[in-house]
Amino acid sequence: MHIKMLHEFRRNKIGVIGLSILLILFLSAVLAPVIAPHDPWDYSFNYFEPPSKDHLLGTNDIGYDIFSELLWSLRTSVVFGVSVAAIACTIGLLVGISAALVGGTYDVIVMRVADALLAIPSILVMILIAAYFQPSLPVLIITLSLITWQTIARGIRAQTLSLKTKLHIKASKNMGASTFYVMRKHIIPELFPLFMMGFVTKTRIAVFMEAGLSFLGIFDPTTKSLGVMISYATHYLYLDVWLNWLLPPVFSLSILIISLAFISFAVEEIFDPRLRRNNGTQI
Amino acid sequence: MKWNRKAKMVTVYLFTIIFLIFLNFLLPRLLPGDVILAMYSGQEILITEEMYNELVILHGLDKTLYEQFSIYLTQLAHGDLGYSYVFHASTTDLILAALPWTLLLVVTSFILSAIAGIVLGVESSWRRGGKIDKSLLVSMLFVDGVPSLAIGVIFLSVFSLKFGWFPTAGAMTPYSNAEGIAHIKDVLMHLVLPLSTLTLSQIPGDYLMIRNSMMLTIREPFILTARAKGLTERKIKYFHAARNAILPFFTRIGIRLTYVLTGVLFIETIFAYPGLGLLTYEAISNRDLPLIQGILVVSVLLVLLVNIVIDIFYKKIDPRIEYAH
Repeated sequence: MHIKMLHEFRRNKIGVIGLSILLILFLSAVLAPVIAPHDPWDYSFNYFEPPSKDHLLGTNDIGYDIFSELLWSLRTSVVFGVSVAAIACTIGLLVGISAALVGGTYDVIVMRVADALLAIPSILVMILIAAYFQPSLPVLIITLSLITWQTIARGIRAQTLSLKTKLHIKASKNMGASTFYVMRKHIIPELFPLFMMGFVTKTRIAVFMEAGLSFLGIFDPTTKSLGVMISYATHYLYLDVWLNWLLPPVFSLSILIISLAFISFAVEEIFDPRLRRNNGTQI
Repeated sequence: MKWNRKAKMVTVYLFTIIFLIFLNFLLPRLLPGDVILAMYSGQEILITEEMYNELVILHGLDKTLYEQFSIYLTQLAHGDLGYSYVFHASTTDLILAALPWTLLLVVTSFILSAIAGIVLGVESSWRRGGKIDKSLLVSMLFVDGVPSLAIGVIFLSVFSLKFGWFPTAGAMTPYSNAEGIAHIKDVLMHLVLPLSTLTLSQIPGDYLMIRNSMMLTIREPFILTARAKGLTERKIKYFHAARNAILPFFTRIGIRLTYVLTGVLFIETIFAYPGLGLLTYEAISNRDLPLIQGILVVSVLLVLLVNIVIDIFYKKIDPRIEYAH
């Protein structure tokens, strides 16, 4: 699979749109401390102020500036999403490759554990653990990674198994390359697209999970979160605040997940040549 | 090492149950501090000395870990999932009362989204690269990105609160005593919004999967044969291509169920629909851990049951399947 990744991606309009939106959102999340006009924890403003020059999206029920809150919440989403994806994909990659290369009983046990994890709704596990421990953000990140690596591991394992029998790998082994060398030079680079697709998908699931868990009121209460904003805004719908309070977090969350969905679709289309017609669906 | 499919299935189920027992039995006991206080203390409940002693006996906490475990397994085998001090009812009864509403939502949305997803996916792939395909694809990717949470909140604020077309909460009007057709109409009116949210959140997944698998099927030689025989377009599309393209749909039902149960949790919470999801939310807000544990057990059993049924019937659906790897 030798595809000029960047070149192909640039030709894929869906991918370019997704990536541009994602970059804008990432940038505003990273720069939140700089661009936020107010401290998101400052509740000294008037309640329920309509949008104005000073408060772009108005203020909420206890006097927080909604726009600043939104930026900081986006930051939480991005941090949570990317960290979970990074940890879960690393575990999945290591488990998948080792299962394929070691084989035997180790392979069987590890993959059956992965299958078993598929049958357990991870949100309920997160709820149970959150209820017991009231954990902080890092603990939640690690917990979610520990129960969502299985899909990555399955994909990586299947791909490694098929790579193992390829001629160029056999050739390098015959010329005396060590397992580690083969892994580093041949297997991991070829697994990269699969890894990237998994990374985007996991980020997406984690972002949704963070918003969902905080919507249910079981996330670390010291962090700003889109889910918490949505949850509080729905309590005051009768005040007609939905345009400036409910819609912004709902819209940001959706746009974030949509951009990730676009990217993962584009990457899948680029790397699965069977899905391509000529040079990708040109939209 | 050759593992046949049955042994593989059984090991997976075994691991799932071990994991479940770890979460529900071992985890609270591994926590530092008192098990009873960790599990039962909430904001709403005050544990009296009498209750405490009762719970110690119920869980056998004065006995060895091994005996506690056998007590736990016996209770589980009898369908006893514990007692909720928040609702003053047996956890099993609470879950059984909520389950039908959730099943109504899940099963109906599964069927509706499958029909919509298959028809849209087949038509889209047939017109690959055309205007209809492109616009369908983009709009489906778009809908796919909107989380069920967001769809639900928007539906609720627009259709229930703004226009008042549908009720805002519940599965039927309380104390209405309506019977017959009026009752059915009442239930349906309450069902519309949660059901459409859940269905809408599933259609893109079905659509994208069918579209991808159709594209691969269309290239198969038997499609060319069907063409050469002079069959009508519609026949080739649905009876030759789609019939083969929907196979992955069945293998994924079990995995998808876990995602759908996640969606149900938010949708039922938003629309206050009295199923397992709302029960979970109420358990969370009251910190009713035995109830959360019970819901986890029932959800996992539900997913396993569906997996078993699919494993059994899959050979009938797709005779090509190999049972020994």
